[in-house]
Amino acid sequence: MKKFLIILLSSILLPVFWGCNREQYSGEPTVALVVKTLNNPFFMEMQRGAEDAAKELELNLVIQAAEREVDVEQQMQIIENLIQRKVDVIAVTPSGSRELIPVISRANQANIPVIIVDTRLDEKLLKSDGAQISTFIGSDNFEGGRLAGIYIGERLNGSGKVAILEGIPGHETGDSRRLGFLKGLEESPDIQIVTSQTANWERSLGYNVFENILQSYSDVQAVFAANDLMALGALEALSSNREAENEVIVVGFDAHEEAIEAIRNGAMAATIAQHPYEMGRMAVENASRILKGEEVPDEIPVQIELITKASLPDL
Amino acid sequence: MMQIQNIRQFGTFIGLLVLCLLFWILSPYFFTVSNLLNIAQQTSIIAIISVGMTFVIITAGIDLSIGSVLAFSGVVMASALHAGVPIPLSILVGFSVGYVSGTINGLLISYGKLPPFIATLGMMSIARGSALWYTNGRPISGFSDSFRFLATGDILFIPTSVWIMAIVYIIAHFVLTKTKLGRYTYAIGGNEKAAILSGINVNRYKNIIYGVSGLLGGLGAVILTARLNSAQPIAGVMYELDAIAATVIGGTSLMGGEGTIYGTLIGALIIGVLRNGLNLLGVPSFIQQIVIGAVIIGAILLDTQLKKQKE
Repeated sequence: MKKFLIILLSSILLPVFWGCNREQYSGEPTVALVVKTLNNPFFMEMQRGAEDAAKELELNLVIQAAEREVDVEQQMQIIENLIQRKVDVIAVTPSGSRELIPVISRANQANIPVIIVDTRLDEKLLKSDGAQISTFIGSDNFEGGRLAGIYIGERLNGSGKVAILEGIPGHETGDSRRLGFLKGLEESPDIQIVTSQTANWERSLGYNVFENILQSYSDVQAVFAANDLMALGALEALSSNREAENEVIVVGFDAHEEAIEAIRNGAMAATIAQHPYEMGRMAVENASRILKGEEVPDEIPVQIELITKASLPDL
Repeated sequence: MMQIQNIRQFGTFIGLLVLCLLFWILSPYFFTVSNLLNIAQQTSIIAIISVGMTFVIITAGIDLSIGSVLAFSGVVMASALHAGVPIPLSILVGFSVGYVSGTINGLLISYGKLPPFIATLGMMSIARGSALWYTNGRPISGFSDSFRFLATGDILFIPTSVWIMAIVYIIAHFVLTKTKLGRYTYAIGGNEKAAILSGINVNRYKNIIYGVSGLLGGLGAVILTARLNSAQPIAGVMYELDAIAATVIGGTSLMGGEGTIYGTLIGALIIGVLRNGLNLLGVPSFIQQIVIGAVIIGAILLDTQLKKQKE
């Protein structure tokens, strides 16, 4: 029985491993892209962009992600394992702005160039630890937040009550968006932020937290969610709860497919479009340039823009 | 009895060897000294908290709070370090938070007569909430090199965290096989009523066992914090499940009364080797989760079949 089970298990596992393993013996250099999670359309788009570029440039591409977005320790383990595997370049969207710095130092020691995508690392800690990155590719989240702030300010004619749904506290991405949003609102000093709470980037929490906000602040006029999943959650809370006295302007971030749909049918007001496909593509393209010994700039900006119903092309 | 135990451990040990052999054949990067040390280091945190879990599960209990307790003791320790408290003292503070949280679990279970599942489920939420509240949800980062040495340093070419893991396992094995506490742990899980009737102060020993589980959560927090150079209130989410998996793969019965420490070490290593090997092979992330689940089920299946055969 024991032998039978071992044979059964190995016969299932062996072909799976074998199939995945072939690429590493071919001659082309290998680029690894480590994203935060693959349960989010944003990172799936990034994956698509990276895959297209890898095909074009004839590079091997390995894409890995932790099981859970919050699990930065697992992301660290994945990078350690990629260092063991001696991949040629590692591109990573950090799940923590500080926590990954030790493992980046280790990639430096192994002479593997590191490209940071989408989420910035803590510059101060990076410097004090002596860790080196080749380039940062991403859109300016602060600028995106600022665009959202200016938009809400204009829509409310400079005065009103606004709520914020934050991402996971301490994440650079969410913090920058929130700070950018506050900066954008500075042009409308009569706007009051009634509450700013985290919904951990999640749709279901976006629903619950915004429902609670509606209970305590039924006169809220606009909400800025630091990503579209939370904005969509807030939208669902609004449609199931009519405590709100007036129409609530919902603004998200990321230009998620469903958010675009909601903007088209008028339920949601706006979102900020980043271009994850471009980020993935540029990550692999620049990895290829590094491998050829070409210089790459310290920072490579990716376009960011405000999307409203007016700016959407007609179907 | 002892013989059955040995054969079962042998089964999981063979499983680990088969897994290693498989990866060795498939990847030229697997069987290198640096990768094996890498695996040992990556396994150390789960392995350490699995020791507490093993004691708890042998008493027919469960500790669902361990991941959250790890996070809470981590952030309290980190704030002590940032306040300038000396390193040993800060670590002691972290240990105390873990020990007290664990002991509260124990008290709820022993004197409160709550099922362990419920008591520790409650503590899971309380400790996580406390960690988030204590830090306002933000990580505490940046520590001295001497503190970070606890995870990133080497002693005689072996990472510090691996030494810590080895010491914990040696002590735990000794306690479980050679001391009164160990014998009573088996007795409570084997037949609690009989244990009470034979004069064992079951409540007292349960408090100790759950307390130690929390304490080891604190030790896990020291290594995790040193490794990431940051203590996160959201650290350790679902570590309890990895620890339970390692313990059960290692042959400890969820019904209580049987289990070994070295079995748990093998269980933790199986999970660590799998994660590492699948990464080395570049197996897509989603498939990795399927494979890990399949191996957990396969290992337990092997175990129960063997047991049936023996009987």
